[in-house]
Amino acid sequence: MKLGLVVGVVWSTKKVREINWCRMYIVQPISTSGEEIDTPLVVADPKNLAACGDKVIYVTSTDASQAFESGFAPVNASIVELVDKIV
Amino acid sequence: MFLARVEKKIISSQKHDAYKGKIVFAVQPVSPDGTAKGNEWIAIDYVGAGIGDLVICGGAPGVAKNVFGLDLAPIRTLIIAIVDKINYHDIN
Repeated sequence: MKLGLVVGVVWSTKKVREINWCRMYIVQPISTSGEEIDTPLVVADPKNLAACGDKVIYVTSTDASQAFESGFAPVNASIVELVDKIV
Repeated sequence: MFLARVEKKIISSQKHDAYKGKIVFAVQPVSPDGTAKGNEWIAIDYVGAGIGDLVICGGAPGVAKNVFGLDLAPIRTLIIAIVDKINYHDIN
């Protein structure tokens, strides 16, 4: 998993059926000290955890499709945690 | 798998069900002689590691599903071992 900052939302009406209801965010990967470490990517949010400006944890690769109820979705990045504090 | 040093702990109240009751750490991958290299990863603790420990992180798709006994496990990296000692001979 990786730490990221939600910097934008992607609105799209034509989507694959499995993720038709799911919101898509643009997430900028950051380090725990806050500096940007990679290029932004689009991340699905099946559990509706995040909003713009939140620090989140997202999971990549095949495990991302497990975050969905059906356990099957054509995504490879999805948000799994909303970060409150980093100590 | 990769060697890493546990840096910080992530506190979060709203999370996916598979993450409930689990400790989440931010780990910095290190090379065998201890120098940090690469970006930080987030890993779920499975062996009781603490901040500052040298650990082995790893994971394969589906590993967390039967390790934690969940039917849906969006977990990729796990802290799977705490390192006591490394014998490292720099060959170059």
